[in-house]
Amino acid sequence: MPATDSPLPYTDTKPVGAADFYAAVNATFRFIEKQSGIAGLRRYWTELGTKYYAPVTRRWREGGLPAVADHWRAFFAAEPEADVEVTHDASEVVVAVRTCPAIRYLREHGREIVPCFCQHCHFVSAAMGAGAGIDVRISGGNGTCTQRFAKAGCFPEPQRLEDIATAS
Amino acid sequence: MIGCYDFCGHYEWTFQWLHELGGHELVRRYWDEAIHLDSQQHASALITSKGFAGMDEYWGHTLGEEGGVWEVTQREDAFRIDMHHCPSKGFLIRNDLKQYPDYCDHCLGWIGPLMKKAGFVVNHEHNHCGQCWWEIKRTDDPAPASAPGALSGEADVRLHDDWKTAETHLDTYERATDPDDKLPAPAGAH
Repeated sequence: MPATDSPLPYTDTKPVGAADFYAAVNATFRFIEKQSGIAGLRRYWTELGTKYYAPVTRRWREGGLPAVADHWRAFFAAEPEADVEVTHDASEVVVAVRTCPAIRYLREHGREIVPCFCQHCHFVSAAMGAGAGIDVRISGGNGTCTQRFAKAGCFPEPQRLEDIATAS
Repeated sequence: MIGCYDFCGHYEWTFQWLHELGGHELVRRYWDEAIHLDSQQHASALITSKGFAGMDEYWGHTLGEEGGVWEVTQREDAFRIDMHHCPSKGFLIRNDLKQYPDYCDHCLGWIGPLMKKAGFVVNHEHNHCGQCWWEIKRTDDPAPASAPGALSGEADVRLHDDWKTAETHLDTYERATDPDDKLPAPAGAH
């Protein structure tokens, strides 16, 4: 059964995940986009966030922004060679991604990165947050980005997808 | 972000998502096109160019990184893996995750087409509890898989107490290169 003392809903016996899996994540996005178009890929991301990550939504709903911050600290600690700082105050959690572990790996291994790769962070996190009263806004991408989380309605503007960089 | 720490969880979830979208054929295509031909292109390059040595190089790296417990037995005419604790299935069991009917089928789903292309066939069984064995031979070698213990000795997972219990059921493949080559379950098996 999942460990109950971890901020993460699913846990492993090893402290850090296997980086080769980033290639499979990238390939999965490419396959679904080819099969179902960008709308189908966004639907996949949204349903993944809503259904597979439903335990995250529950924790965020119960724990609010501190739970959001705890989640991302634990999450990026388990991602190989991530360089990420998570800060939070009463109104916002800021996840400053200095080195995205997925983009780093895919580049180092010469993989063709799906151009819309970085959009998945928005669609998955927005879906996880929707049931918890948490909104997300992302700017940057392609290896370095800023992800901000706040209570629903606190951001004055909706997410602009043009604020998320094309990956290469 | 979708991470790699829980990859096996969302990978398994994705099988069912695809199955609901396009049925079994779409899942098969995913394993072949996205995993075999795209994600695991490095495995394909190693095995098609180096044969058994490439298998040793590929699985030595990947299973070590994933954290499994396994034994490799390499002979001139066969490459064998006895998987005692599959890190991938183990993750699902520990986290009580099951959306797709048989997660273990994905291995033949991408390895099968790769082996066919590289000139090999696969003898394989999995018990759905994180143990399996693979015995890979050249396509032109008509010899069947080895008897329990004959090739890998005490490492042979079939000799271990937890291989076949009242709770386990085995899926078996002989000289396979396709996930649908699974042999029918014996009469009376559950």
